[in-house]
Amino acid sequence: MPQVPIIMPQLGESIAEATVVDVKVKSGEEVAADQEIIDVETNKAVMGVTTPCKGKIDKITARVKETYPVGTVLGYVEASEEDAARFGKKPPAQPRDQVEVESRRAAATEMKRDGARASTIGGLPVPVAAKGAGFLSPRVRARMTELQLTSADLAGILGTGAGNRVTIKDLENFLSNIDKQKSTEASAIRAGVADAMRRSWSRPLATIGSSVNLDPVLQDRQSRDPKPGPALYAVRALALALAENPSAAAKLIGGRVVQSNSIDVGVAVEAEDGIMVPIIRAADKTSLVDLTTKYNELVGLARQRRISPDMQAGGIAAVSNFGTFGVEWGTPIPLPDQTLLLGLGVGKKVPSWSEEKNGFTPKTEAQITLSFDHRSLDGGRAGRLLKRVIEFLENPSKL
Amino acid sequence: MSITYLEAIREAQAKLLRDDDRVFIYGQDVGGSFGGAFKATKGLAKEFPGRVLNTPISEDAMVGTAIGAALEGMRPIVEMQFADFSSTALNQILNNAGTHYWRTNVPVPITVRLPSGGTKGSGPFHSQSMESLYAHYPGLIVMTPATVEDVYTMLIEAVAIDDPVVFCEHKYLYYHLKADKLPTEGLPTGRARIAREGRDLTIVAYSAVLHECLAVAEQFAREGFEIEVVDLRSVKPLDTDTVLASVARTGRLLCVGESFPWGGATAEVIARVTSEGFHLLDAAPQRINARDTPIPYHPNLWAAHRPNAKTIAAKARNLLQE
Repeated sequence: MPQVPIIMPQLGESIAEATVVDVKVKSGEEVAADQEIIDVETNKAVMGVTTPCKGKIDKITARVKETYPVGTVLGYVEASEEDAARFGKKPPAQPRDQVEVESRRAAATEMKRDGARASTIGGLPVPVAAKGAGFLSPRVRARMTELQLTSADLAGILGTGAGNRVTIKDLENFLSNIDKQKSTEASAIRAGVADAMRRSWSRPLATIGSSVNLDPVLQDRQSRDPKPGPALYAVRALALALAENPSAAAKLIGGRVVQSNSIDVGVAVEAEDGIMVPIIRAADKTSLVDLTTKYNELVGLARQRRISPDMQAGGIAAVSNFGTFGVEWGTPIPLPDQTLLLGLGVGKKVPSWSEEKNGFTPKTEAQITLSFDHRSLDGGRAGRLLKRVIEFLENPSKL
Repeated sequence: MSITYLEAIREAQAKLLRDDDRVFIYGQDVGGSFGGAFKATKGLAKEFPGRVLNTPISEDAMVGTAIGAALEGMRPIVEMQFADFSSTALNQILNNAGTHYWRTNVPVPITVRLPSGGTKGSGPFHSQSMESLYAHYPGLIVMTPATVEDVYTMLIEAVAIDDPVVFCEHKYLYYHLKADKLPTEGLPTGRARIAREGRDLTIVAYSAVLHECLAVAEQFAREGFEIEVVDLRSVKPLDTDTVLASVARTGRLLCVGESFPWGGATAEVIARVTSEGFHLLDAAPQRINARDTPIPYHPNLWAAHRPNAKTIAAKARNLLQE
């Protein structure tokens, strides 16, 4: 029986290669025409490779987790003479195909270059020539280092160089304008917060929000001693929700998804001229009462600015209770080494429709937000986590 | 009165012969009435009898003999017919002359004149620029004068220096470059010269290509760019301070040399600027050399082989736009 090759198809514009994630058939298996037999993954989606025609799988040469360029033969189907004639029983002419693959590869590389991503020469990555607005020359960088400036400080400069690059002249003009204005030295804590926020902001951050009924929490806290604040209920609710689903707080570092061994949750505390975020270790295993004692200690230390760096390090998520400032809603920024930040707004009495009473009843409602690193998780996942936190808050006896 | 680059070399040698009994000239066909392949010693044999001497056709023997004479207290000037031929004498120049002082504390004050660089139709064995090769070796001074004034004062200084000097004079400049008169003094060896002041780009060059660079600078001045041109004068010692000071003003660097591209003087300038003055740079430094092939005979190929105003201008434009 003649063999018809199964070929890695063109999976979309600009896609030069794909990785095999699953092979659904074995040698000898009968297959129909256009049957999905191999799943491949590109940087955009998982797609199926289909059989070219009806027949029996002769062999699959492609291996799972291997990446193949478009046009590669992934296996062969034993087909009837008729189908073989139609779908070309001869394997594709190698040299021409090779050229095609090469040129597609080159095109993909070229495209990556345009997208300012690493391109390759001879299969090795090379940095893209740095030009345009994001580029800072060694001279500009040296001047920035001398003045302890970061690229965020240069945000206000409209570059006049090639591709709107900030030139040394632009920088000096900017600096001389600053000298004309009133300025004071920033405190160490201010500089520290600025640095953390700037680093955090280098990520694609998103925020979602929902409302939460605070009445159960307000009632529950009356029954506890010491009385935990709403923020601690939120810490505990977040910790328990994450304990159920710890990968939601995972960090994406390069190609790795990194997950902490312990549910350590921070609480943002306002200190003079900045904020501190002491971490409560294993918050999922700490009772609300113990949490309250621990929290009060940490707040005391934070207000005196006596929280050491290691007491603020290693958390997987944090809670910001901006409701204490009377604020209803915000989009807080997660700490640079964390993926999630839960924000709690101020509780307000609102009329709420009750089906039971067939009328409006008063309810204490607050807005709760979840800011997240969109590289690590998406709206759906973040939404489910937030809903779970709300469920806990509305059933505080479980906390 | 006007004097050419070649006449300045002859005048410098005449002055040296006149002023210092220890000086003599040694080379193929330099004596008699011939006066050397390029007439750099024209008339000197007659004016200074017994001190302008013909040699056998052996560059090795010429330099070896000169080293011996220098050790005995003389100040010989060796004329190579073409720089290319000096490769036959590499052992004498590099291993004997270059190391002698360091081995024995006795200096070897010889001057080896290399008619260097390309001219139309000269091909692979009569066009080479060897300054980068000689600069690679310790113990030698390598001069690359680009002007009539420099070729005169630097040759006089070359003979005065106790170290062996490789004197790379450019054949293209022999007849093309003229000055009104000879100078009485020049910059010391090892000091580069700002040939043209500017603020937007530094071009570092030496020898004949300096003039191409100056022409490019003039062309860009019409567009409002001011290019600073640094004439290295000697590639060894290399005046890093002047180059760094210039790059500090402009933030951009282009090095131009006529020798082959692999390693060499232009690479050395860039290496020094990037390691000592990275913080001064607004763009990656660039260089232009001859192509990495033997030098072609055909005039069209030769024109494409060496750096010229067009290729320098294209590179300069890229750098200015970056």
